Amino acid sequence: MTSRTKCVPAALVAAFLILTGPLAAAFRLPRPEKISLANGMTFYYLRTTDVPLVSFQLYIGGAGSAAEPAELEGGANLAADLLLKGTATMTADEVAEALEFMGADLFTSAAEEYVRVSLESLAEHFPRALEIAADCLMSPAFKDEEFRKERDRRIDQLKAIKDEPGQAVRYYFQKAYFGDHPLGRLSSGTEASLGRMSAQALKAFYEARYRPARTVGAVVGDIEKRALVALLERTLGKWRNPAGPTPAASLPPPPRPRGPRLVLVDKPDATQAYFVLGAPGYPMGDPITAAAQLMNTLFGGRFTSWLNTELRIERGLTYGASSAFRSWRSGGLFTATSYTKNDKIGEMLDITFGLLRKGSAQGFEAAEVESARNYIEGQFPPTLEANGSKAGTYVRLAFYGLGFDYYDTYLAKVAGLSPEEAKAAAAKLLPSSDFVLVVVGKSSEIRPLLQKFGTWQEKKVTDPGF
Amino acid sequence: MRPKAWSALVMVLVLAGGLGAAFGPADVKVHQLDNGLKVLLVEDHDIPNVALYTFFRVGSRNERPGLTGVSHFIEHMMFNGTEKFGPGEFDRTMEFRGGRNNAYTSLDLTAYTDWFPAAALEHMIDMEADRIQGLTFVPEVFESERGVIASERRLGVENDNDAILQENVRATAIMAHPYHWDVIGWMSDILSWRRDEVIAYYRTYYAPNNAVLVIVGDIDPAKTLALVERYYGPIPKATPPPPVTTAEPPQMGPKDVLIRKEAQTPSFHAVWHAPAFGQADFIPLFILEKPLLAGDSSRLHRRLVRDEQLAISVSGGMQPTLDPYLFEIFVKPRPGADLERIERVIDEELARIQADGITEAEFKKALNILRSDAYRELETIAGQADLLGTAEVLYGGWERAFTLVASYEAATRDEVREAARKVFQEMNKTVGKLVPEGGAK
Repeated sequence: MTSRTKCVPAALVAAFLILTGPLAAAFRLPRPEKISLANGMTFYYLRTTDVPLVSFQLYIGGAGSAAEPAELEGGANLAADLLLKGTATMTADEVAEALEFMGADLFTSAAEEYVRVSLESLAEHFPRALEIAADCLMSPAFKDEEFRKERDRRIDQLKAIKDEPGQAVRYYFQKAYFGDHPLGRLSSGTEASLGRMSAQALKAFYEARYRPARTVGAVVGDIEKRALVALLERTLGKWRNPAGPTPAASLPPPPRPRGPRLVLVDKPDATQAYFVLGAPGYPMGDPITAAAQLMNTLFGGRFTSWLNTELRIERGLTYGASSAFRSWRSGGLFTATSYTKNDKIGEMLDITFGLLRKGSAQGFEAAEVESARNYIEGQFPPTLEANGSKAGTYVRLAFYGLGFDYYDTYLAKVAGLSPEEAKAAAAKLLPSSDFVLVVVGKSSEIRPLLQKFGTWQEKKVTDPGF
Repeated sequence: MRPKAWSALVMVLVLAGGLGAAFGPADVKVHQLDNGLKVLLVEDHDIPNVALYTFFRVGSRNERPGLTGVSHFIEHMMFNGTEKFGPGEFDRTMEFRGGRNNAYTSLDLTAYTDWFPAAALEHMIDMEADRIQGLTFVPEVFESERGVIASERRLGVENDNDAILQENVRATAIMAHPYHWDVIGWMSDILSWRRDEVIAYYRTYYAPNNAVLVIVGDIDPAKTLALVERYYGPIPKATPPPPVTTAEPPQMGPKDVLIRKEAQTPSFHAVWHAPAFGQADFIPLFILEKPLLAGDSSRLHRRLVRDEQLAISVSGGMQPTLDPYLFEIFVKPRPGADLERIERVIDEELARIQADGITEAEFKKALNILRSDAYRELETIAGQADLLGTAEVLYGGWERAFTLVASYEAATRDEVREAARKVFQEMNKTVGKLVPEGGAK
């Protein structure tokens, strides 16, 4: 039993790892060595010896949810999970037993533009753990029985999500904002899409989409280079590209809302109302990144941000309020989110809209901008401290073609940002009239407080889907 | 099921000399000020940052009816102003200097966790020392923060069916000891804490002789100790807080909790009275938790989730506490699952362990998991700071951080079986079920 002072939304932390990160002058991302396997795969490698652990990460481009057929919504994620549920030579139980016996953690998950595989292990067990990981990646069985178990578990999880309004509001938002765009596909799938799926369809998706040619990896930890190269060659080095052309992996630009779109989801037993407000962000690697991150740090990206100050610190309306950017190759998303007891949701939204207007119209004071610069710089080194953080950074930078000097440049940019540039970023990215706003709560109590914001599309949490 | 925050605490740690880690007891510089403040310093220049952790020996264990949740409330108020630094100034100053912080309150302790660039060290020491006795509890700020806590409770308990059930089960299992209530406290107490009572509580528990200061990272230990002496030295020691004397009486029979509530999915939670960290059976039970509950290959995951498909997930185990607490099993049942059947499966698996113990392979697996977890915590300066402070407050001394793995290795499979025989008895058990009702309207 533990309670914390500050809620740290997972998404916010992830955004920092992904998008932020000026380099303190004294601290730079250590440059990795490049390892090229005979089959063309590239790995980035750094030796560290502080603890006897090794971290391994891999991105498989074009195998994520944006690449799944619309009727297989959630299929990319389910396929990624099924990699660990049996191979040509091991059953699912044997895979779990072997990895857990060694204390090794192997995770697979589908993001929108890639599938991520990560492995953390004691150095002494790393060779065996990597053999198993490679087996999972190269010869997954996609057994019907395992598929059915995982699918049924997901259908049940969707119901559990609806019991938690704080989680459910994100699912409803994703659907309301992206609609039929590939970014609108829920990684969980829907009851309808899960019902349509088959092990065969996921296997076909795997066979078409998982290719060494689209894969980049990193290894950081206590392992010698020569041993690592030999290990990689005899495991993943044996992976061959399937015959046939490489399918396209491009993501169309995300939709841009025109005017306000308001959605109210009725959850009759909720004692708090939860909102997510979203608007367009910017694509990965966009020149506005540094200014946008600094602006967001001040708007909703840290504890003393405007949003958290007004909603939590000054008024005690909520335990947490925050905003964040997410970026993909073809575009991005800005979201602001919080929650409060039912009778305060109108006040909370008034304040939020007021801050959005203030950011665009007035911008930020010089002292605030200086504080945000220091904060971004000061919080950067810990994001690269652990082996897994370094490996994740190498893979991400390589995958998006940003270069290992990306954070050096980024830091230099952040350090030189002026209040005018922060205001320009706010004017461009903080929404005024074109946005999507989703509220989950007890409609009978909150509907009257929401009417002044416009016309709401109403749903019930008990309706199928999101 | 969402793992609760306590899993972080459960990570008990590490390092026997034989494990070959770069971090050992010789790296820890230990000092105690005249006013009783214990100081642990570790120099580590891998990144140009510092982790400064302050642990106070106060948690919900020290509370009483009417003041439940107050330890956690004070944790929040610690950011809300002193004579020297007004409300909000701690956070504003810290973030301006590139730092970030959080804090947590558990059953037994309250910890303040600061992460900042090395150049901010003196400012942080100044502000941390100041708030040990300087809080002003400005009435308007006090009321505003009360609202924050109420929102935190609504988020974490009242809008989360699993949490509602868990709170009920723990409060039913534990009758007399202050572990009866959760750290967040009862809503009626949150809404009615009186300022003078809160201040009296703060004065009792916030004193240098009731605290441990851990500083790890890009520091010069001698200079850092001089700063600590300068800012913390003048703070007077306080009368030591009263001991917690209430002991939980033995349970006289099995207890059941049944909640009927609007929900899409049921919830399930079972607990048994279990030993405190310092008691003999703690480590065998902590080892048992791995083959029983950790990962897809664990006995209960296999039976409940994979073979019988009764559950979406299963988790739980022991947590290190100062007084005897609980062995907990959390199950997220599938909608419509037979909750009686879930209970029977758990009973069967526990009976198997009581009869035959765990296998040699399961024992080795537990040790591998515990070693991996231990090293992972040592990867970061934050992890090292948390480990040392937790060991000092909960495990009986910071040195224990370096002998825990040896303790696990010294345990035997017989001890695991014997501990299971003692703990997993009907007389010791409380089972909670939340059954969905209504829903579609």
